[in-house]
Amino acid sequence: MSVKWRRYVRLDEPLYTKPFFVFASLAGIAFLLGFYRELTGLGYVTGLNDGYSWGLFKNWNVTALTALGSGGYAVAILTWLFGERKFHPIMRTALLTSFLGYGTGMLCLGFDVGRPWNFLHFNNPRNWNSHSVLAEVAICMTAYIIFALDVENMPPFLERMYQSQDPRKSQLAMKIFYAIRATYPFFVALAFLLPTMHQASLGELMFLAGPRVHPLWQTARLPLLYLLMAYILGLACVLMVLLLSNMVWNFGWDFDILNQLTKLMGRLTAAWLAIQYADLAYRHVIGLVFKFDFYSLWFLVQTFLLLVPALLLWFRPLRNRPGTLFVLTFFLSIGGIIYRFTPTTIAFFPLGDYRYFPSVAEILMSIGFTSFAVTLFLIAVKKFAILPAAAGKAVAGAAVQPFDTL
Amino acid sequence: MDVNRRDILKGLIGGTAIAGVVASAIPAASSETEVAAQADAVGLLYDATKCIGCRACMPACQNANGLTPDRGNSGGLYMQPEALNAHTKNLIKLYVADDGHERSFMKQQCMHCIDPACVSGCPMNALHKEPMGVVGWNGSLCIGCRYCQIACPFNVPKFEWDQVNPKIVKCELCRHIVGKTESQPACTKVCPTHAVIYGKRSELLAEAHRRISEHPGQYFEDRVYGEFEGGGTQCLVLSRVDFSHLGLPKLGKESGPAQVRYVSNFIYRGFLTPIVLYGGLAGVMSYRWKHHLIHSESPEHHEGDLPEATTQEEKQV
Repeated sequence: MSVKWRRYVRLDEPLYTKPFFVFASLAGIAFLLGFYRELTGLGYVTGLNDGYSWGLFKNWNVTALTALGSGGYAVAILTWLFGERKFHPIMRTALLTSFLGYGTGMLCLGFDVGRPWNFLHFNNPRNWNSHSVLAEVAICMTAYIIFALDVENMPPFLERMYQSQDPRKSQLAMKIFYAIRATYPFFVALAFLLPTMHQASLGELMFLAGPRVHPLWQTARLPLLYLLMAYILGLACVLMVLLLSNMVWNFGWDFDILNQLTKLMGRLTAAWLAIQYADLAYRHVIGLVFKFDFYSLWFLVQTFLLLVPALLLWFRPLRNRPGTLFVLTFFLSIGGIIYRFTPTTIAFFPLGDYRYFPSVAEILMSIGFTSFAVTLFLIAVKKFAILPAAAGKAVAGAAVQPFDTL
Repeated sequence: MDVNRRDILKGLIGGTAIAGVVASAIPAASSETEVAAQADAVGLLYDATKCIGCRACMPACQNANGLTPDRGNSGGLYMQPEALNAHTKNLIKLYVADDGHERSFMKQQCMHCIDPACVSGCPMNALHKEPMGVVGWNGSLCIGCRYCQIACPFNVPKFEWDQVNPKIVKCELCRHIVGKTESQPACTKVCPTHAVIYGKRSELLAEAHRRISEHPGQYFEDRVYGEFEGGGTQCLVLSRVDFSHLGLPKLGKESGPAQVRYVSNFIYRGFLTPIVLYGGLAGVMSYRWKHHLIHSESPEHHEGDLPEATTQEEKQV
C-alpha cells in the first residue's frame, strides 16, 4: 500500500537502543586504534606495504563511501535541475547520508596519511600542485564539505535551535536561516560543481598509474566512469537507507518516490555498463573479458552484480516489494563498490613480490569509522526532523515553517 | 510550469552546446603536454655488461645517505635487502634465466624521470624537480599520502611504515653532497669497473650510443633504456638481456603525467569548464529556488501537512 511522504519528521523512538550501543562501541574502537596508530605508525595497524601502499581506508572509507555519499548530490540534481519536486521529502535524508559519508571518509583519511601535521601547509594555496589530480580531489572534497554539505545540512539544526526556550537563540537561528535562504542557490550550484569535479578526478587518480593497472580497468574514460558510478551508488545508498529505516521505524512506503529512484538507478547502471564495454571495444581489449583468467573472472563478477539487479529492477512487481528491492539494490551497490576497489588494489600491479590483505586492526578501524556514520545517523533522525513520513504517523515532531522549505 | 521547464532544458542544452564549441576550439594535443629534458639535466649511466655485482655501491649509498642497514631475514648478520625499501635507496640484483645461461646484474634506484609521475601526482610539491633535474623530496611539505608510490611506473619511492614520523625514501642522486663536498654520487664514486657513471644526461646518452655502435649486437635491441621510455629518464640503462627481465617495464614514449595532463586539459579547458558550469548551475538554481520558495511557503502547501496532534507533546495531553 503506497502512501505519500510528507517532508521531514523527528522520529518518536528511544535513542539508546542495543544497535546504537553496538555501533557506538565499534566507532569507539576505531578511534582508540586511530590514536594507537598516531603513536606508532601505519605499519603497526595496517597491512599496507611498499607494493600496495593504498588499501582498505582509501578504497572503502574514501572512494566507496564518498560514492555512496553522493546521494545528496544525485537527488539534488533530480530535484533542482530536473525539477522533480516530489523528491523534496527525501532531500534531508540524502544530504545527511552525503555529509556522513564524506565526513567519516575524510576523518579516516586523516589517519591514513602518514604525515597529517603537514596538512597545515594545505592552507597556503601556493603549496598546491596545480598538476596534481590528488590535490584537486583533496581541495574539492574539503571545499564540498565546508561550503556545500555544511550549509545544506544546517536547516534541521537551525530548526531545533529556533524551537529552544531562549528567544535570543531563536532569533539567531532565524537570522542564519534567512542568510542561507538568500544565498542558497549559489551554495547548491557549488554542491553540483564540486562533486562533479572530484568524483571525476577520483577516477583520474589511477590513470596516472598507467600500466600498473590492468588494461580492463585502465582507461582515459576513468573520470567519466567514476562520476557516473557516483550517481548510481549515491542513489543506491539513499534507497537502502530509506528502505532499512522504514523497515525499522515503519513510516510508510511511498512507492512513487522509491520507484522513480530505482528506475533511474537501474537505467544509469545499464548505461554505465554500455559505456564501460564500449570503451573496452574502443581500446581493443574486450577480448580480455573472456580470457577467463583471474582478472577476467573478477571483471565478469562485477558485470554480473551490476547487470542482473539493473535488469530485474526493470520489472515493476520486483520494485514494489521492499525486501526484494533492498536485496537487489544491495547487490548492485556491491558491484559498484567492487569497481571502486579494483584499480587501486585488485587489478593493481605492485611490481614485486608483495601481498596485501587488510589487517584485523585495519578492518576494525574501517568498520568503526563507518559505524561512526551510522551512530550519527541514529542520533540525527531521532533528534532532528530528517526522515520523510506518511501523514498520520506518530512522531516526536515535524519540521516547522520556514525551515521546512529546505 | 511545464513550459518553463522546457525552456530551462533548452537553455541547458544550448549552454552546454556553446560551452562545447568554445571548449573544442582550444586545442589540446597530447604532444603539447609533453616535457623535454632540462639542458643541465644530470643522471647515471648503468651498463649492466660492466657490472661485476660487488655491491660496493650499496653500503656507499647507505653511508652517504645516513641509512641504517637492512638486515631483513638474515638473522641480523648481513645487510640483505630483498627489494628497495625504507633502508635501501640503491640495490644490485642478479637476473638468471630459467636455463641458467643468460644472466645479468641490475642496479635498482630512482630513474629520475624527465617528467616524473611522482612529481606530477604529489599534491603539495613535496616531490619536485631540483635545478639539475634531480627528483628531490621535501619532508616539510609531504603529507604522507603515498600517491607517489602508486604513480611511479618503477615502484621506487618507499615509505617508512614503522615510523611515527615516516619519510619517503628514494635516491636523490646524493644532492646533499654533490657540488658541495663531492663531485659525484657515492655509488659512482666507489664503482670499481665504472659500470655506473655520473654526468650530464646528454653526454651519458652520447656515451651509451658510442658503446652500442662500438659493440654492435652486444646490447639488447641496440638501444638505451630511458632514452624515450616514459617520456625519458635521466638514469639510463644498457644491458645484454631483455630489459623486461631486469624489472624495467615496457613504457611508451609519452610519459604518464603527459597523458594525465591531456585528459585534464580535455576536461577542464584551462578552468573554463568549471566556470561556465558554475554559472549555468547557479542560474538554473536561482530560478528553481525562487519558484520553490513561492510554492513551499504558500499556505496551500501546508494543508494536509503532518497534523500537529501527532507530536509527542500533545499525545501526552
